[in-house]
Amino acid sequence: MQELTFKVQRYLPGKDKKPYIQEFIVPLRKGMTVLDGLIHIKENIDNTLSYRSSCRMGICGSCGAFINRFPRLACHTPVEELGTGIIEVKSLPNFPIIRDLVADLDPLFEKHKSMKPYILGSEMEKAERPSSQLLQSREALESYAQFSYCVKCGLCMSACPTVATDPLFIGPQALGQAYRYCVDTRDTGAKGRFREADSRHGIWLCHLAGACSEACPKGVDPALAIQLLRRAMIFDVLRLSKAKKPAPVAHPPAESKPKIAVPEFTVK
Amino acid sequence: MRESHLKILQYIAGIGLFFLVGTHLIVTLLIGDPTSWESVSARAASAGWLAFYTLFLIFGLYHGIHGLRTIILELPIPKPPARVIDGTLVAIGIAIFGYAVYIPISAFGAL
Repeated sequence: MQELTFKVQRYLPGKDKKPYIQEFIVPLRKGMTVLDGLIHIKENIDNTLSYRSSCRMGICGSCGAFINRFPRLACHTPVEELGTGIIEVKSLPNFPIIRDLVADLDPLFEKHKSMKPYILGSEMEKAERPSSQLLQSREALESYAQFSYCVKCGLCMSACPTVATDPLFIGPQALGQAYRYCVDTRDTGAKGRFREADSRHGIWLCHLAGACSEACPKGVDPALAIQLLRRAMIFDVLRLSKAKKPAPVAHPPAESKPKIAVPEFTVK
Repeated sequence: MRESHLKILQYIAGIGLFFLVGTHLIVTLLIGDPTSWESVSARAASAGWLAFYTLFLIFGLYHGIHGLRTIILELPIPKPPARVIDGTLVAIGIAIFGYAVYIPISAFGAL
């Protein structure tokens, strides 16, 4: 039976001064992913190994790790794709380590929150208690749909060389989501997001390395979102931007009488 | 000034430099004998050329110093606050501009 060598980063705060690598031998199975290997290690060899995982199918974004020197989702990485029998797994770079392969993703979520990643309506009352539906054409949806595929896995932030040198840089994930909401016809909060992205640690630190788009497992292409956001911000400063056509309100459904009279309830 | 304003000026300066440097190269490398005394003094006595070189200086200084600012602010080393760096670079830029523009202006006045 073929075997794989898993070189896994281990680190227990309070006990270890710094992370170290531990090797495990894992039997190779057809169609096996890196996550399968980690699960095998935890279930059969060392149950103290810590890692995050949930859906096993590349949709939750939990299992992000630095696999053979590139940020990948462990569940989404078949071992055969790596082309080697030695699999090195570390926690995501650019994030503090909580334990073993578990990274502290709070910086990601804080930066994401700073971009107000939700529909901002002109009337908060209507936003919180909607009385009607907002319509969106296919073209309007397609203008942001790709960027809505983000699963907040953090792989783009790990790949980004600017995040590595400036931990305060907002980052491709938050900037990508800022564009996603700015271009949504139901949203009216673009100006506020522009101001937030225009800081000294904001969008202008991006040098178009493109590593974020290369690492993204969902095809979001945050590098494209950043460039489109930059264009929108420049047009806004130069007052060249066209006013966004807001999403029209759907007509309420027509009232209709029932064709057959409903008998009164006998049990009140 | 917001970062986006500074960046837009950087782009404008860059585009402007493309034309200014191109013109400068054409004049100094392709047309006549640009380094002869007659040619140099003719350019120095021209208000148009004075304006050209002043603009060249402004665009070049802004583009270069803003680029330097970007590099310094992104260096992962201990450094003074951004305001101190900005102020220092602005002061250096003004000093260089003052010194550099003095020469063509005084030549224009003399000729």
